[in-house]
Amino acid sequence: MNDSCRAARKPLPTLWSCILGASFVLLLVMFPESARGQETAAFFKQNCYSCHTINGGRLVGPDLHNVTKRKDREWLVRFMLNPQAMIDRGDPYAKQILDESRGVVMAQIAGLTRERAFLLLDLIEAESALEKSQFEGVKFSDRPFTAQDVFQGEQIFKGLTPLANGGPACMSCHTVRGLGLLGGGRLGADLTKVSERVGGRKPLSAWLVSPATTTMQPVFKLHPIEPEEILSLVAFFEDSAKRVGDDDSVAPLTFFLIGLAGMVLVLGLFDSLWKNRFRAVRRPLVSGGEMRTDA
Amino acid sequence: MNVRSQISMVFHLDKCIGCHTCSVACKNVWTDRKGTDYMWWNNVETKPGTGFPTRWEDQEKYKGGWEKKHDYIQLRCTDKKRIVPNIFHNPHMPSMDDYYEPWTYDYQHLFTAPEGPDQPTAMPISKVTGEHIDIEAGPNWDDDLGGSPIYAENDPNLDGLSDEQRQQMFAIERLVMFYFPRICNHCLNPACVASCPSGALYKRGEDGIVLVDQKKCRAWRSCVSACPYKKTYFNWFTGKSEKCILCFPRIETGQAPACFHSCVGRIRYLGVLLYDADRIEEVANLPDEELIEGHRSLVLDPRQPDVIAAAQRNGIHDSVIESAQDSPVYKFVKDWRIALPPHIEYRTMPMLYYVPPMSPVMSVRTEKTLDNISDNLFHDIEQARVPMKFLASLFGGGHEAKVVYALKKQMAVRWYRRALTVGDVTQDVADQMLREADCTLEEAEAIYRLTSLCTFEERFVIPPAHREEAIEMMEDPHENRESVGFGFLSGPRRGL
Repeated sequence: MNDSCRAARKPLPTLWSCILGASFVLLLVMFPESARGQETAAFFKQNCYSCHTINGGRLVGPDLHNVTKRKDREWLVRFMLNPQAMIDRGDPYAKQILDESRGVVMAQIAGLTRERAFLLLDLIEAESALEKSQFEGVKFSDRPFTAQDVFQGEQIFKGLTPLANGGPACMSCHTVRGLGLLGGGRLGADLTKVSERVGGRKPLSAWLVSPATTTMQPVFKLHPIEPEEILSLVAFFEDSAKRVGDDDSVAPLTFFLIGLAGMVLVLGLFDSLWKNRFRAVRRPLVSGGEMRTDA
Repeated sequence: MNVRSQISMVFHLDKCIGCHTCSVACKNVWTDRKGTDYMWWNNVETKPGTGFPTRWEDQEKYKGGWEKKHDYIQLRCTDKKRIVPNIFHNPHMPSMDDYYEPWTYDYQHLFTAPEGPDQPTAMPISKVTGEHIDIEAGPNWDDDLGGSPIYAENDPNLDGLSDEQRQQMFAIERLVMFYFPRICNHCLNPACVASCPSGALYKRGEDGIVLVDQKKCRAWRSCVSACPYKKTYFNWFTGKSEKCILCFPRIETGQAPACFHSCVGRIRYLGVLLYDADRIEEVANLPDEELIEGHRSLVLDPRQPDVIAAAQRNGIHDSVIESAQDSPVYKFVKDWRIALPPHIEYRTMPMLYYVPPMSPVMSVRTEKTLDNISDNLFHDIEQARVPMKFLASLFGGGHEAKVVYALKKQMAVRWYRRALTVGDVTQDVADQMLREADCTLEEAEAIYRLTSLCTFEERFVIPPAHREEAIEMMEDPHENRESVGFGFLSGPRRGL
């Protein structure tokens, strides 16, 4: 009885999976090759373009022009999937790249699979063959920064001037030294010397076009920063790096003294707050403090 | 009228012999557990003396009870503004030294000491540190005027006395003392209950006994500083506050509390009073000199039909009303007006009353005989060794009239009995004294009987507890009867 019931119900899921499978195959067949290429280009733009160009010179990372000729594909894919592991393993070429990038390790890319890595290499190869690649690098004005730029950048960093496309203010996660008493957020990196760290105006600007870290990417994917805003921010970062100079730590003694003074202050406050507190009765009585002497 | 019932007490100080049997009975029943070493739910103090904890009556230091500020009473130890900064650091907490460091003796040493030329001794050991200590204070350190120049002379009740009065009081042939046994007063306006941030203290609806819920107590210890009589104690082992529970398990089964039961001098009386709960707030806010009369006016006559009707409306059982009609406390407090509340100026409305003690009879030496009758028969009261001001500070809220009234009546009864039995004064003189003391013949006889010849049943008129009524409010009494007594008992523990 039971068996027949189960048997009667069985064909239904099988039918569904057949329909689903058929439509999937149909989709794959109908999906044009160019569409997949476009998707890869979008991925490149979102994840790689902030540090790399193709035939546009190096930014934070090296120019990827003809990278497939410099190293074999297998090595490149392994590096793309886990750059830190390659460096840790002591691969000489990986080390060389690291030195050239002044110690900035390539970020782990979210959503990068082995298959996608090969597609990316295809894309780079195809773009390298072109006269003029679409990934030659974003063109920014290289006019000298004015005080107005720096001021505007600081306003954007602090969130006093909101980002045009609705992205969150930098200060909610980052700090820059000399930004008032409490500074900014401590969740992200300290950006005081970021322009020196990434190698100047051009790479920093490129980086801000589509920030590629796992934390920033999802936040800014839908709210890209406008080119004028990037210009102001970079002006602000360059200025702050210059302003702070080499003094990059508060002396531990100062901290200690501030702590000590704070403690004394708090104890003094407690003492005055509870100045009428109970103090011993019996012992002063016996030791003569309140004893009557006329007896 | 919002009539409630309260189990109230009278301690007749003229009968107390200071034997501490009450204290020991209480200690053996309740406070010989770990962490309760220093607690004396019942203690007996010598007056003049500083008591336990030392100078507990000095509210400038201990900040107990209520004070009248801006026409309205508020707790001395805290107020709404201070409760937040004070909740994690209560600034008015007595220290261990003001009680005493509990100790035991190293008895084992008597058996294990190596043989030597001297007898081994049992050294005192601190129950806190486990180390040998020099005992500096105890619960009874100034008993019988021990260490008078320090302790007795620093009794806060002496503050109003002139230097001459003080000197006379401690002159070697005039030395005087009396005993002051104390338990929780189970007040009508308890400061401990008002101060508790956890709501752990409560006044039992059916009989007014003030209790600490050991499950709710969160060790804030506000009650310790709020109680002006210093009768709540903190148990450092369980992390809960504890206080006198008026032996409610005994009361509920018709027995007198342990300290009452064991009292050698038979000074203790216990019975129900009916009072008007609606007027507590009004009375607690009266000016100092009206407090005693106001406090007394809270107690209602259990024979008045409207009081009985109001009591019945409030669910007070007929048997409790009957018990209130026989209450010895009612007689002392309302009929005879010779029992007075201790330190009414703390405004907690204590429900333990004291009959103030008579001083030793003053005699005058004429030639070879001792003459103890003077022309002014109440002479002894005004010239008593204990200055009236001292007694007024304790029992009169600083005002002498009520104390003098109570003492005059006692003295008149004494002379009345003396005229009857010894006959060295005439009945006329006795009658005159009774008149002056506002005492009828029947009243004198009744005072004499309840003071001197009282039986167990006359001293302790314990109302039926009617636990079933209390249980009924929480659960089905039948179910309770069937299931009670089966399960696990767990003692109080530190933490939540």
